[in-house]
Amino acid sequence: MGSSIQKAIELILSADPELLNILATTARVCLTSSILALVIGVPLGILFGAERFPGRRVLLVLNRTLIGMPPVVCGLLFYMLFSGVGPFRHLHLLFTVKLMILAQVVLITPIIIGIMETFVADTAPALRETARGLGFGRIKEYRLLINECLYSIFSAYLLSFARAIAEVGAVAMVGGAIAWKTNVMTTAIMMYTNRGSFTLGIALGLILLTLSLLVNVVLSLMQGRLSR
Amino acid sequence: MKTTAFTKTYNRRVVLYLPELELPKGKITAVIGPNGSGKSTFAKILAGIERSDEKKPILSGVKVGYLPQKSFPFRMSTEKNILQNGNDPARARELMHALGIEALAGQSAKKLSGGETARMALCRILMSRYDLLILDEPTTAMDMESTLAAEKLIRNICREQDCALVLITHSISQAKRISDRVLVLQRGELIEQGDVQKVLLTPRSEETRRFLDFYGL
Amino acid sequence: MKKTVSLLLALVMIFALCACGQAAAPVATEAPAPAEAPAEEPAPAEEPAAEADALVVDTCILKEADDAMINNYSLLAVNPEAPWVDADGNPVSDVTINTVGAAALINWLLSEEGQDLAANYGFDQYGEYLFYLKDGRPVSTAEIPAATEETRIIRLSTTTSVNDSGLLGYLLPIFEEKYGYEVEVYSAGTGKSIANAKMGNADLILVHSKKQEEAFIEEGFSCVLDGMDTERLNWMYNYFVLCGPSADPAGVKDAADVKAAFQAIADGKFPFISRGDGSGTHTKELSLWPEDLGITAEAESFKDYTDWYISANTGMGACLVMAEEMGAYILTDKATFLTFVANDGVMG
Repeated sequence: MGSSIQKAIELILSADPELLNILATTARVCLTSSILALVIGVPLGILFGAERFPGRRVLLVLNRTLIGMPPVVCGLLFYMLFSGVGPFRHLHLLFTVKLMILAQVVLITPIIIGIMETFVADTAPALRETARGLGFGRIKEYRLLINECLYSIFSAYLLSFARAIAEVGAVAMVGGAIAWKTNVMTTAIMMYTNRGSFTLGIALGLILLTLSLLVNVVLSLMQGRLSR
Repeated sequence: MKTTAFTKTYNRRVVLYLPELELPKGKITAVIGPNGSGKSTFAKILAGIERSDEKKPILSGVKVGYLPQKSFPFRMSTEKNILQNGNDPARARELMHALGIEALAGQSAKKLSGGETARMALCRILMSRYDLLILDEPTTAMDMESTLAAEKLIRNICREQDCALVLITHSISQAKRISDRVLVLQRGELIEQGDVQKVLLTPRSEETRRFLDFYGL
Repeated sequence: MKKTVSLLLALVMIFALCACGQAAAPVATEAPAPAEAPAEEPAPAEEPAAEADALVVDTCILKEADDAMINNYSLLAVNPEAPWVDADGNPVSDVTINTVGAAALINWLLSEEGQDLAANYGFDQYGEYLFYLKDGRPVSTAEIPAATEETRIIRLSTTTSVNDSGLLGYLLPIFEEKYGYEVEVYSAGTGKSIANAKMGNADLILVHSKKQEEAFIEEGFSCVLDGMDTERLNWMYNYFVLCGPSADPAGVKDAADVKAAFQAIADGKFPFISRGDGSGTHTKELSLWPEDLGITAEAESFKDYTDWYISANTGMGACLVMAEEMGAYILTDKATFLTFVANDGVMG
């Protein structure tokens, strides 16, 4: 069906080393950034959802603003900060996978915080009333709360992984789409599109979607098991 | 067991004002009154979940158990939910049997019906011993059969454990069936208290009489 | 339940993409029909590649090797002592620039070996040379040091058209293999690519826009390497080519020179695709229009010509696809055009 599918299959079968490198870089960037964002975002989201403290509302508004930050703006910011003339120039991080991961963590963490906060703010009051009524301590209360969250942690992860793998603005700016180093699926698709190689771009898009589908199926199966 | 007098204000409106109260051990004190009379707020303040205007607990030095009106089922099986409050499977079985939910032991608590959840929650709170046990409408979601079983269980536990038991209910017949004492609340005020038979058969105040008449007693 | 929904959604998206894939494919498959008739006509003699592929791609080179369309490629080493300023305009003193690496790469490109390789590039693939060596070009015989831990990574900022020609992908692995360096190629539009160097993110630049190169030197961002006598090392050139439908309704082929050809296109209001993205090619194209039309990079300047002048604002390849589909004229660098033809008009 379509020359693109044929092209996509040809590309995979040919095991073109550059394509494999792009795939490996994509996997490294997306998996690392989404997992890091999860590790940072879940505790913060639970905290924002479960606790009431001064400044909480301000932080939440700030977080919602960050959710809406265009990736390219985030990329530009990091580009300026880590440029040869930028304040963090001595770290020599521009055009590296590390900085791409960092930029994506900044992009994705607010989403995870937002999802977790909404869920926990919905669940925590009822759970807390019951747990305190039973005379449970705070530690047990939080253990039970986290147990309630497992399903939405999966949902949050799926969404953030999707955002990471689909994102192009930040990784293009910060990574520079340097072949064999920082070129990922989305930047490669951009490059081919600019060159007018639409078929190849769509072939890469198909591979990207297939990978995304696989990750989603695996996680959905795990999620399904959890809810049982 | 004695509580201190307190007031509770929401948006500058006093919603509850109660004097010192005596909650005798081994006895069931029913709190009755129409919707919005402040029964649940009283239960929460008594349990220490909410604070009164005086910002201090109205009762101290006792272990309190509180069953909220809508109890939260944790994301695990019915049996594990019950075992959260004391790891005694034999006791859990006994309680589940008493309320007729032992067949649901392995089922996810999130998938229970309203009445089943209420029975699970009652079993769960009864796993621990408390000096004061507050049950906020524990049987509202249950059918008649389960209600009677639950009442029997509640009365037995109260006697066995010799704890003070506060039963919030909107059912005067339930209060008559199992309670020893009764507090009548109306619009945030205590309008009558005393022995259940005395209050319900020969109420002193006009307001209590009107309230009882309204419920056809 | 949720699982099924997400699976279905993903499948729907894949099908949608396939549909797009088919929509894009006709560029390749439908082209033969209109191309068959003109294929009978003698193709331009200097265009053997187009002749061979005339059945697929109709667009062909109509005007080339005109001095007005010369395309000079220069190498500029970035000056480590440049007047660096940060985003707020405050001076910055300690910017790390790998001048040793940049010099190594430049010396190799200007060595006999590098020059031979560049001059021969493209002949095997396209049957003709894509780059020509300039007379009086700088030549280097300097010893090239092997890479060390500090000098190993060389950051080269270049323009997309240089990168798309495939020249660097052909040359750099040979250099890297021999001396142990690793060249990181950052490719963007001319403006962004030079700005990237000014932000201290490149050790050398390879561009083809004399004006912008001179401004770069003027501002102090480039330096003269040992053994060279100027910052701007202009060693290669090729020609932009004016392409269009083989039927050539504007008669561009017979025009006296390229300026006359552009005049003919404008007079007849024949569709023309402009890069419109401030690239080197775009800058060159703007200089070729008759002055009285007043076409500049500003959208305002060509608002009266929008019925035939199409500002695409995208890459060279994407513009070629558009020109092929619309039977429009287009100015392009020869390397990209030959790649386009060699791939049956789908670029790769």
